[in-house]
Amino acid sequence: MNSKQNNSNFLMGMLALAVSFPIIVVCSAWFFPGTELWGHFLENLLPELIVSTFILLLGVGIGVSLLGTVLAYLVVMVEFPGRQWLEWALFLPFAIPAYVLAFVYLGVFDYSGYAQVWLREYTGMPGFDIRAGSWAIILTFVLVFYPYVYMMARASFKRQKIQMIEAGKMLGAKSFYVFWKISVPLARPAIAAGLLVTLMETLADFGVVSLFNYSTFTTAIYSAWGDFRSIEVAAQLASLLVLIAFFLIYFEKKARGKAKYYSSDISHIRPYQATGITGWIVFLFVFGIFMLSFAMPMLQLIIWSFEKYAEEISQEYSNYFSSTGILTVSATILTVTVATVLALPSRRKAESKALQLLIRFSTLGYALPGSVMAVGLLYGVQNISLVSIQLGGSSINHILFGSVALLLFAYISRFMAIAYNSASASSDQIKPVFEQSARLLGSSRMRLIREVYIPMMTPGILAGGLLVAVDIMKELPATYLLRPFGWDTLAIRVFELSSEGLYDRAAIPALIMVFLGAIIMLLFIRLDSERY
Amino acid sequence: MEYKVNKKVSIFSILVISILSTSFSASVMAASDDSLTVYSTRKEHLIKPLFDAFTNKTGIKVKYLTGKGGALIERIKLEGKRTKADLFMTVDAGNLWYAATQNLFQPVNSETIKNNIPNHLRDPANLWTGLSVRARTIIYSTDRVSPDELSTYQDLANQQWKGRLCLRTSKKVYTKSLVSSLIHHDGLEKTTEVVRGWVDNLAATPHAEDVHIMTSILAGQCDVGIVNSYYFGRMQAEEPNVALKLFWANQDSTGTHVNISGAGVTKHSKNPEDAIKLLEFLSSVEAQKIYVGLNKEYPASQKIKADNLIALWGDFNQDKMNLSVAGKNQADSVSLMQREGYK
Repeated sequence: MNSKQNNSNFLMGMLALAVSFPIIVVCSAWFFPGTELWGHFLENLLPELIVSTFILLLGVGIGVSLLGTVLAYLVVMVEFPGRQWLEWALFLPFAIPAYVLAFVYLGVFDYSGYAQVWLREYTGMPGFDIRAGSWAIILTFVLVFYPYVYMMARASFKRQKIQMIEAGKMLGAKSFYVFWKISVPLARPAIAAGLLVTLMETLADFGVVSLFNYSTFTTAIYSAWGDFRSIEVAAQLASLLVLIAFFLIYFEKKARGKAKYYSSDISHIRPYQATGITGWIVFLFVFGIFMLSFAMPMLQLIIWSFEKYAEEISQEYSNYFSSTGILTVSATILTVTVATVLALPSRRKAESKALQLLIRFSTLGYALPGSVMAVGLLYGVQNISLVSIQLGGSSINHILFGSVALLLFAYISRFMAIAYNSASASSDQIKPVFEQSARLLGSSRMRLIREVYIPMMTPGILAGGLLVAVDIMKELPATYLLRPFGWDTLAIRVFELSSEGLYDRAAIPALIMVFLGAIIMLLFIRLDSERY
Repeated sequence: MEYKVNKKVSIFSILVISILSTSFSASVMAASDDSLTVYSTRKEHLIKPLFDAFTNKTGIKVKYLTGKGGALIERIKLEGKRTKADLFMTVDAGNLWYAATQNLFQPVNSETIKNNIPNHLRDPANLWTGLSVRARTIIYSTDRVSPDELSTYQDLANQQWKGRLCLRTSKKVYTKSLVSSLIHHDGLEKTTEVVRGWVDNLAATPHAEDVHIMTSILAGQCDVGIVNSYYFGRMQAEEPNVALKLFWANQDSTGTHVNISGAGVTKHSKNPEDAIKLLEFLSSVEAQKIYVGLNKEYPASQKIKADNLIALWGDFNQDKMNLSVAGKNQADSVSLMQREGYK
């Protein structure tokens, strides 16, 4: 039995190592000598970039935590007009790719956008450059990423014991005090988990920051690569992102602490009623967020689409559809399967710090810019080929480059964080007593996994899977570099058109993507409502 | 319930295995047919009509893979001798120059191409050739600027343009190549002064796209900017009376900076003869007409006239600096812009 346990640890370790492969390749760039480029960057670029990246992370972090938590609290704890549909509608912005939201916002709110033109005309107010400073880009990121925190915090609030809140109320605590001193501390691990994902994605973003021409760490990475043609320095810089992500995970763990706050019973009673004018104010706030983050951008995309529909729609679209569909479905299944294996509870795993660390490491691909990770993967394959040639074999480059297999591998590595977090959140709730009693009854580990763990983890696994699916569908840089011939996806089409400045035509594939993403989110919501 | 889960799992695994196996076999099989393969950073909607015309004429099929410059170059490098790419096609002379330094191309000695495309638009060692030309020049508001006030790129650094200038980000390759050409003509020191003046004169954070520069001028955020000619061409095709005009910069000195899109035959092409045929076709009058019609660019070929619309903008003197210089100076140009805080 002992050796079996070791086997399963070994298997998990190998799997985590495989997932970490591109991350390891990127980090190994430090073995190459640095160039004089570092001197130029340290003097001219990095001081400013570190400050602006920090401001961005801080702003986005505070913003999504506040917005996500407050919205989740309102829909779970307060009864107000429209609450029922808004509770679901607030998930939808997740279906919009961040760079699409950015080009819509710039089109509407920048100096030449209609919002400002209208303001100038009717109020005489002077125009302004929304790309100056950092507030507008922070707001954009907050509006596109708040669903991560909202989703997690909402699930957590749903599980809070209503009695504690009732007790607080009976003891005369003001509602804000109950929110701040009871509910939020209890939801802290969930909020931190949503925040972590947001910050990793913000760190790795290239699309939104280039549209706003805002400089972050990724600017230096692409400058090293694109301007100075040094892929080594680019990888070295990128590996610093991995380091930052590692610290973030560490802090998240700290925030979570050892405590498990979950209770298993879910209550549908809402402790607060917002009626009359208060109710409408709450409604207006929540509805406003929904309008700004989803309805308005959708409307803009539809307006643009109408103008260019005939020009853009072609037979190619059936191809974009099928590539997007096949890649999304198969990569999601693979990612979720690997994540589930890594997240299975086991006593041995709980005891092995090294294994836990390795598994955590394997989720860091999310913080790497997609194209850096993809090139890392190509270099990794190249290294294997070199070893294989050394051993008298042949190169495998031509088999793997441009194969769906390599692309799927890239997706697994890149989105492991989302699938793993979700799967492990549900496996953390499985009490160790199951393992003990199963052992006592002489049941095998396989049987335990099949009959106890998997069914108990299924909701978490599926929820993670749907989120991963939306993310894969939106993925651009890795797909762009690694895809086989003819496997253009909708995301690629959006990019090819928008990067030529043809935003109105790009709106069509973008709209289709949002539509598909919304269907996936609806599935997620169905699943979620069955759970509660 | 348990049975159901297992059944689902097995269906999933069958699906995944079949996808994996087809993907492997597809990639192996793809290596063995006699069509041409092009890796391109020029977008699909701009290249497909050209390849269709070539296939119609010669019967040779063309497959293509679009992507980002730096990443595609790495891919070709790593694919090495087994690369499927016969032709690498990209925009900006700096990118072509870099691909050449990475040993991606083989020299092509084609009289047809030499006859069609002028010298300064081709690599001195015949590794690549330009196929379409875009001028990067000054654009101004016809409401607020008179053409008498305009003269050179360098002049936009002067005090009179304070708060009136819009530029594209220094991260875009077209900006880098323009500044590279200024370094070539004026030297590092003088160009530093010019870039510093530009940054001082900016009315807004540098824009991500040339299109945004034009809409910003129309909205009154700024009065002048620098854009690639075809962006204006596209806008004018949709709105003929738009209150913007192009001004040919540096006519009395070095000529207006031009850039190209171009291509070269890859070093490890399996089918160099057909690849050269494709390249020759792309330089021919027939293909050059498609280039010009699709994207409002200037032909690289000396043998045809520009599209009616862009012919109305008038003739201008091109900067005759050999475009490989744009590539050579690129690192200097980026360092300079980063030092001067040109974002």
